[in-house]
Amino acid sequence: MVVLRNLLRSPAGALGLLMLALTASATALTPLLSPYDPFALDFADAMQAPSALHWFGTDNFGRDIFTRVMVGAVYDLRLALICVFGPMAIGVLIGLAAGYFGGRIDAALMRLTDVVWAFPFYVLVLAIVGVLGPSETNLYIAFFIVNWIGYARIVRGETLLIARLEFIEATRVLRYGRLQVMLRHILPNALTPALVYSMSDVVLTVQAVAAMSFFGLGVQPPAPEWGLLIVESIDFMREAPWMTIFPGLAIVWIGIAFSLLGEGLSTALKPKG
Amino acid sequence: MIPRMTMKALLLATAVAMTGLAAQAETLRVAMSSDPLSLDPIATSDNGSIWTQLLIFDTLIRPDRTGEGLEPGLAESWTVSEDGLTLTFKLRDAKFSDGTPVTAEDVQFSIARAASEASGWGRFYRPITGFQIMNDHEIVMTLAEPFTPAFNNLALFAAAILPKAQVEAKGEAFFEAPVGSGPFVLKAWNRGSKIELEKNPHYWQEGKPHVDAAVLEIVTEPSARVIKLEAGEVDIALDPPLNQLEALDAKDGISVGQTIPYRADFVQLNTTKKPFDDERVRQALNLAVDKEALVQGVLYGAGKPAASAMPVMAYADPDLTPYAYDPARAKELLAEAGYAGGFEAQLVVDSGAATSRNAAIALQAMLQQVGVKLKVQMLEGGTQWETTKAGNYEMSVSYTTSDTIDPDQIIGFVGVNPERANAYHTEWRSDRLNELYAAERKALDGPERGEMFQEMVQILHDGAPYIFLYHPASAWAVKDGVKGFEVLPTSNFRLEEVSIEN
Repeated sequence: MVVLRNLLRSPAGALGLLMLALTASATALTPLLSPYDPFALDFADAMQAPSALHWFGTDNFGRDIFTRVMVGAVYDLRLALICVFGPMAIGVLIGLAAGYFGGRIDAALMRLTDVVWAFPFYVLVLAIVGVLGPSETNLYIAFFIVNWIGYARIVRGETLLIARLEFIEATRVLRYGRLQVMLRHILPNALTPALVYSMSDVVLTVQAVAAMSFFGLGVQPPAPEWGLLIVESIDFMREAPWMTIFPGLAIVWIGIAFSLLGEGLSTALKPKG
Repeated sequence: MIPRMTMKALLLATAVAMTGLAAQAETLRVAMSSDPLSLDPIATSDNGSIWTQLLIFDTLIRPDRTGEGLEPGLAESWTVSEDGLTLTFKLRDAKFSDGTPVTAEDVQFSIARAASEASGWGRFYRPITGFQIMNDHEIVMTLAEPFTPAFNNLALFAAAILPKAQVEAKGEAFFEAPVGSGPFVLKAWNRGSKIELEKNPHYWQEGKPHVDAAVLEIVTEPSARVIKLEAGEVDIALDPPLNQLEALDAKDGISVGQTIPYRADFVQLNTTKKPFDDERVRQALNLAVDKEALVQGVLYGAGKPAASAMPVMAYADPDLTPYAYDPARAKELLAEAGYAGGFEAQLVVDSGAATSRNAAIALQAMLQQVGVKLKVQMLEGGTQWETTKAGNYEMSVSYTTSDTIDPDQIIGFVGVNPERANAYHTEWRSDRLNELYAAERKALDGPERGEMFQEMVQILHDGAPYIFLYHPASAWAVKDGVKGFEVLPTSNFRLEEVSIEN
C-alpha cells in the first residue's frame, strides 16, 4: 500500500498507471465502443480512411482497425506479461540460490547463465521457435528459456550484498532456517531492482513479441496481434498508411506506459533515508 | 583559379559532351522479384531462373506471343511425320554469342543432356530415342513409340540449345558464364542483387535486341519495385501489387499492362488425411468459398474464378464452370460425411507471397461460416514446398504455371498419381484419369485428344483434391517511352522486343 501511494505520488508512475488503466478499460469496453466484428470480412468496406464510422480506418478485408487494435492489446499484454514475469520468477529463484549458497552451486548456476548469455537474445529465441514451430505456446517456451538470466544476475548480486549485512548475520545467531532467511529476509530486499528492471523488460518484450509475429514466428492470423497487424499492412502502406500507423502507435503507447511505470516504481521503492 | 574559356573551346566542349550522350549505351532496367537459382536449364524450375535463361539461350521452337501456337526459334522449319514418330528440324544460320555457329551436333548434345539422369526434366525428353544428323543444319529425331507432347516439349526452356564443345570443356563452370544464341549475353551476375546482360552481337533476329544492354534488378518487395519505377531507377517493374494497378496507371509517365497467363491458384488438400479423404468434404469446401469475392477482395478484380487446378489453355472446356458459392449445400454435404459440427484443420501458406497470404486469411473467414476452423501457418516458401512434398500437411495454398502451350505438362503435375508429384502431393488418385493421361500422350493432336483433356479436367473438378480458387492476372508497369514489353501467357517476357523512345 505504501508502495502504491508512493507510486501515485511520483508523476511518472501516476501517468504510467493512468495510461495502462485507460488501455485496459478501452480493451474491456471494446464490444460497447465498437459495433464491428474484429474478424468478419466486408470487402465492400475495404481500405476506408479513418472517419467517424471507423476511427482508425479499415484494412484490406474491410475489418475495423480500432476494434482490431483494441482486441490485439489482449494478445500483446498477455504475451508480454507472461514472457516477463514467468522467466522473472525462475531467474529470481536461481539468483537467490546462487547468491545465498555460493560455492559450487553458485559456480554451476552462473556458468549456465553465461551459456545462455553468450547468445544474442533474438538469435536464441528465433532458433528455439524455429525448431519448435511457430505458435503462442512455443513463444512462451522460448522466452522462458532465454529471459530469466537478467533477473538471475541482478538478484544474485543483491543477495551477495544483503547476505553480508548485519541483520542477516543476526538471523544466524538466532538459528533461523535457511529457507526462512532466504525467502523472508533476503528476497524482499533483493527483489526491488529486479522489479524495476522488469518494467523496461516489458517494453522490450512487447517489441520482441511483435517482432516475432512480424517474422511469422509468433501469433498466427487472424489474431489481431499488433506485430501481425503491421506485417499484414506492408503491401498497403502507400494507399492505406493508417493500417500500419495505428498498431505502431499502440506499441509505442504501451512502451511509454511501462517506461513511466518503471520510472515511478524505482522512485517509490527507493529506501528512505 | 578558373581559366577563362574562349567561346570556341566552350562550343567544342559542348559538342563533345553531346556526342558523349548520344553514344551512351541504351540500357533497359527491369525490377524482378526473384533471383535465378541457376542458369543450367536442366537443373531449374523456378521462374527467376527460367526467365533469365530464356533471354540467354534459344530453343528450336518456342511458344508464340499468343500462347496458342509454336513459332520458329533456332529451327527455321520442321516436319513431323504422320505417326508422330519422326521429327525433322532444319536449323537457321545462327551463331552463339562467341561467334561459333549453332550446329546439329549442339542440338543432339543439348536434347540428350535434357533427357539424361542429371536432368530434372528427363521424362519430357526420354521418349526421343534416336538422333540422326543429316548435316550441320539438319537433324532428325525419332521416337520408339508415340509420345504426342514430344514436339511441344522442345519449346521448353529445358531444351535450350547449348554449345557442346564449351559445356563439355567447362562442365558446371559453364553456367557461371554461359554462352548461348539468345538475344542477350550474361555480363555479370551479383547474386541476390542484379543480373547484367549485354546485347548478343551475333543474334539471328536482325536488328534485335533494340537496346544495347539490360539489367535485371532483384527487388523482392512488390511495393519497392513500384517505388523504384516511380523514382526512375528502373524502366519496367514486374508484378506490382495488384491493389496498386489503378493508381499506378493514373500516374503521369507510367502505364500498366496485365494479362492472365497459364496459371491456376488453389489449396492442396492432403487426401491421405481425414477428413480430406472424403470427396463430399472436399466438394463442400469448394462450395463454401466465394470465389468472386476472392477475385475482388484479394486480386482487386485482376483475375477470374477457377473451375479446376488446370490453367485455362489449349483444349480447355468452355462449359466447365467453377463450383457455385453455396454455403447451405456445403453444410449439407459436411453433415452427410459426418462432419455436421465442422472440423479443425491447418492451412500452410508462403509468408512471402502477399496474394496467397491474403487469400488464406479470407479463406479462414469464409470456411468459418460452415464450421470449418482453419489454423493458418505462415511458412517461408522453401519450407512450405518441403512440407507439402513430404506429405506433412493438411491444406496448403499453392499454384501452378505452365511453361508450355500443351496442357500435358500441368495435367500430369496436378492430376496424375502415381507421377512425379502424385497429383501435386494431394495423393488423390483417379484410375480413369490415369488411363486418359496415358492415352492422350499417344493420341495425335486434334479433337479426340481434346476430348480426353476435357474429361480429365472434369474428373479433377468433380474429385476436388483442391479448393479451386482463381486464375490471377500477371501485371507489369513501365515508364513512358518503353515500347513492346509484355508478359507472355507462359509467364516469361522477351526483352529483345523492347525499345526505349525518348
